[in-house]
Amino acid sequence: MSDVSLIDELPGELLMWVLIISELLVFGAGMIAFMGVRLTDPVGFAEAQSHLHRTGAAFNTAVLVTSGYLAALALKWREAARRGAARLALVASASLGVVFLIIKGVEYTDKAAQGIGFETHPFFLFYYLLTGFHAAHVLAGVGILLLVAWRDDPRNIEAGAQFWHMVDMVWIMLFPVIYLLG
Amino acid sequence: MSENTLTRAWLALLGLSFGSALLTMIPAPPAVLGGGILLLALVKTRVILARYLDLAESPAWLRGFSMVLTGFAVIIFGLYLI
Repeated sequence: MSDVSLIDELPGELLMWVLIISELLVFGAGMIAFMGVRLTDPVGFAEAQSHLHRTGAAFNTAVLVTSGYLAALALKWREAARRGAARLALVASASLGVVFLIIKGVEYTDKAAQGIGFETHPFFLFYYLLTGFHAAHVLAGVGILLLVAWRDDPRNIEAGAQFWHMVDMVWIMLFPVIYLLG
Repeated sequence: MSENTLTRAWLALLGLSFGSALLTMIPAPPAVLGGGILLLALVKTRVILARYLDLAESPAWLRGFSMVLTGFAVIIFGLYLI
């Protein structure tokens, strides 16, 4: 019988995995609720969705997966004692997080200019809640990446990168549900 | 996880994202379109779990996460088709 428990197999801190699972469940429940409410007015949801910028959101997917790649590289480089390269990768990763937020900000500004708000249609209530909550996580992630670039212990970088990959994964599921499944 | 493995994972994620964008441009029945888009998203989450989050080293956890995410995608797809 092996002495290694299943829990010990998880890379990094257990609490970070508890957080990752909790966040996935919260966003997952939100997306299921969105699809459930869509059943009450599929035509209205499709019409509302046509106001979204799919190209910008698709570009943001590429931005986030590239940012995640840099965060993953930073951990490898720090473990190989390449501290300067790791810090640079983390700052670049955080910068791409800022690019994501700028594109998201442009999208929100455009909606506001069209007079689209929370109460315009139930679609937009979910749109703002889910993408806004995700954007708040991106903002937190940018701060965490910069923090671990400064306090660059490998365990810190691993935890920061794991948080960032969770944010990335949530967007990968959120994007098709909100922007594509009309 | 080597740097080359991470680079391949990143290129795969970009390729799959491009694939999703292409899929939305082809005239296909909603079921095919929705199913294809969700399948590509599922593959992307698996790549992130396995490569970025290093769960390739913990196959039982990777299997568990994949099963739950597949169940989630099936629910979303079912609601989409109703």
